[in-house]
Parts: sequence; structure tokens; C-alpha cells
Amino acid sequence: MIRILTNGAGLIFMKIGIHAQEGVEDIIARKKREYEQAGMIFWGYGGNTCHPTTFIQPFAKTQAEHQAQVFLMMHKMTSNHNADPVSAKQYSEDGIEWKPIPEGIQVVGSRYAMVIGNLTEEQFDLNLRNLVVAMGPKRGALGTDYIQGHVDKGCFEYHERAETPEETELKHIDLYSPLKPPYAVFLK
Amino acid sequence: MAMLNREIMNAVSDIIMNRPLPIREVDQIYMKAGDLALQSFFIGQRFRDLDVVFIGDGDAVALSTMYLFHCDLLDVAPKSIHLLDFDERIVNSVIRFADKYRFTNRISASLYNVIDPLPSTHQRRYDAFYTNPPWGASNEGESVKAFVERGIQATRDHNAQGAIVIGDDPALVWTQEVLHVIQEASLGEDFIVSEMVPAVHNYHLDDAPHLRSCNCLVRRARQRTGTYSSEALSPDRYARFYGRNNPLRIRYIREELSLNVGRAVDQTYKLEFLEGKS
Ligand SMILES: C[S@@+](CC[C@H](N)C(=O)[O-])C[C@H]1O[C@@H](n2cnc3c(N)ncnc32)[C@H](O)[C@@H]1O
Repeated sequence: MIRILTNGAGLIFMKIGIHAQEGVEDIIARKKREYEQAGMIFWGYGGNTCHPTTFIQPFAKTQAEHQAQVFLMMHKMTSNHNADPVSAKQYSEDGIEWKPIPEGIQVVGSRYAMVIGNLTEEQFDLNLRNLVVAMGPKRGALGTDYIQGHVDKGCFEYHERAETPEETELKHIDLYSPLKPPYAVFLK
Repeated sequence: MAMLNREIMNAVSDIIMNRPLPIREVDQIYMKAGDLALQSFFIGQRFRDLDVVFIGDGDAVALSTMYLFHCDLLDVAPKSIHLLDFDERIVNSVIRFADKYRFTNRISASLYNVIDPLPSTHQRRYDAFYTNPPWGASNEGESVKAFVERGIQATRDHNAQGAIVIGDDPALVWTQEVLHVIQEASLGEDFIVSEMVPAVHNYHLDDAPHLRSCNCLVRRARQRTGTYSSEALSPDRYARFYGRNNPLRIRYIREELSLNVGRAVDQTYKLEFLEGKS
């Protein structure tokens, strides 16, 4: 883990919980099988702060220009998400050209998905104070000023600070995975 | 409690109902209702009796200003406004609304992408320009410069004015950098900053709900001499138009014709009928 969190590293922080009426543990088990069958995972998500073409793709491409890989880091929490478990049938990298969802992959109840490699279940604390917003209008702000209220995910660069964090600024990470091209897609 | 003016709120509500839903991919992020009303007053006063061109206006400040004036809720307003935007939904929404309420003599709109040279019919024609461009968080203000340049090209050789509405939050370094870049670029074009109203407008912006924009007013300080040519934007200038690795790829956003403009889109709901009826 220490290896991944070096200064300047790009990461996406995301809170996860029950999704489309399915518990986190079930989702994780299903997604691991997905990786075995398809060699990649579509991790479904929604909301407006990690849009595939304006946030995730440009962010991951910029990191890739420096030979750096972006990691999706997930924080488990208790939540309710009662959206209907409608399965996506098609995906698109640009929202224009649509292709059938690859064999072995199933995403439900989401408008977007991040495209990731295998999931590593490992627990460690991530200090939100060490995160600097990398994309969008809050670029340059601290993770502690960004992950608030309805905002539960974002694109960050890791920059370690000297100050000791407050208890509330530490978020435990439960699993992580590298993003793979095309990084994020639209679903329908 | 502050006074609530029902007529003004209802007029602004008409404007808001008329705005096409914003497309975040091209930085359409709409101004909130109260600020839209106040901005209309501000523009009405500052650009009183002038011929004004708007370079992009998803917020509908132009329409709101002219409509409030038309409804006798504003004492003063520009003589005329022409809106240039690359989103046909926005262009048509202005034309339809002005037609419905009968003030097409005051406001007009046409399709235009700032990537293209400014059509000669719009060059040196207006007394003032207004722009609320993509704010340039990750392009060092390049997108703001492009919009402002078009505004300047559209204004007269002397006594021209401009209003530039962009992000302003002292805690966000990029907003201050862009303000710096844009004031410098304006000076380069012989425009000085004549008034600066910091951090006034709020937007419907999920990931930065408290980020506000300022009114940076500029004024031509030296008369333009000689000719100029309005060139197409070079590719390196729009490679990061909507942010890093997020180039301008769209020429126009076209409106899909629908019979129920302004109502819920059919696909978003389903009617469940009473038993035995359909
Ligand atoms: C970029 S938005 C900036 C945010 C502003 N608050 C808004 O939503 O209107 C301003 C307007 O510029 C238009 N616009 C975006 N890119 C453009 C381009 N390349 N050429 C012309 N207009 C453009 C949008 O359609 C929108 O109406």
C-alpha cells in the first residue's frame, strides 16, 4: 500500500455501500468472479462529481502521460440505495458510440462505470487532508473540504502533509483497484 | 427577513422554466434564481441603452434582463441584445420566448462557436459584450481568453465596454490565476478594468456549491486603430478547452425537435391508467 501512496499519485476516493438493493459483500464477490471471466470489472456508480468524459478519463489520461496509474480506493459505509436493479445492456466511452456490455460483466442500477482491474481487499487509513482535488472547479482544494454532504467521491492527487490529522479526517479504505483504459464509461 | 417581490420572482421563474437542461460536458452550469434576478438589474443599469452582444449565455441573463424590462420590473435596460451560442437549444429558447411575449425587437440570437472566426456582420457592431465562459480551471484561462477576444472583436473601435463573469474564490488558487491572466489579456487589448464586483453569483454546481463568480467590467481605454482580422482558433488553443485532456470536439449542439418543449421528456415517466381505461 505504502508503494501506491507516493506524493503526486492520482487516486479516486469513493464511498461504497448497498447498491441497487445488493449488499457490498455480495457485490464484491460478484465483481471478483467478473474479473475471472472478463479480465476486467465495470464498477457502477452515479452522481455528478466523477463524470466519465469530463473527470475520470482526462484525469487518468493525464496521469498516464506521466506513466502513473490511478487507483480507485473504496471506503465502505452503511447506506441505502434502493434504485431498481436494472442491468445495463450497452456501454460507451464517449456517450456517442455504443457497444454491448462485454461477456461476463453485469452492472446494475448505474449510469456510469469505472473500468478497473482486480480488487485487492486491504485495510488502511487514508488521510483526507493529504488529498488535493485534481479535477473540476474545486481543483486545488483539500479532500477535507470536498468530501462533504452529498459529495462522496472525487479525483485527487496525494500530497503528504506534516500535520497530524483529526480522527474525523481519516477514512478507512477497504479495497482498491487500478483503473484500466478506457477508465470510465457510460451505461444504458 | 428580506422583502420578497412576487412579480420579479414569477418573471424569473418564467425564464428558468424556459432554460434547456444544462449539459455539464460543455460547462453549462446555471446561475441560481436570486442571482439571475440581481444580475439582470446590474446589467440593465451598466449597459443601459447600449447594443450588447452576449458570447454564450446558458444562464439566460440576456433574456431575463430584457424580459424584466418588458414586464416593467426594470427601469433601464440595453437597447438591444444579440446572443451568440453554439447550443441551438439555447438559441431557439431565446427566440421562442421573445416571440411568445412579443419583444423580438429587443433580443435576437444565432448559432456560433467561438472556435470559428466571428462573422463579419457581428464585427465592430456592438457597444458592449457580456460573457460567462468556461472558467478555465485547468487551462490557465485559455477558454476565458477565447470568449473575451470574440467579445472584443464584436465591439466598436472606441468607448466599448465588457462584462466578464468568471470564478472568484480567494481560497481556490486557480480562480485568482485566471483573473490575473484575463486582466492582463484585456490590458493587452487596450481594455482596462473599470469595476470589479467580487464573488457575487451562485450556481447549481454539485461539486463546488459555494464557488461564486465575480463581475469584472472592462472598458476600452484606447481607441482601436487600423483593421483586425478575426481568425479561427488554433488547435493548441482548444486542446484543453473544457479542461486537461478534454478538448473542444463539438461544433454545434443541435436541438432535437419535440412537440412538448418545456415539459417532461416522455421517456422519464410512464402513465398508469385507472382499471379499464386507456
Ligand atoms: C460555457 S457556459 C459557462 C457557465 C454559465 N454559467 C452557463 O451555464 O451559461 C456559457 C455558455 O457558453 C456556451 N458555450 C460553450 N462552449 C461554447 C463554444 N465553444 N462556442 C460558443 N458557445 C459555447 C454554452 O452553451 C453556454 O450557454
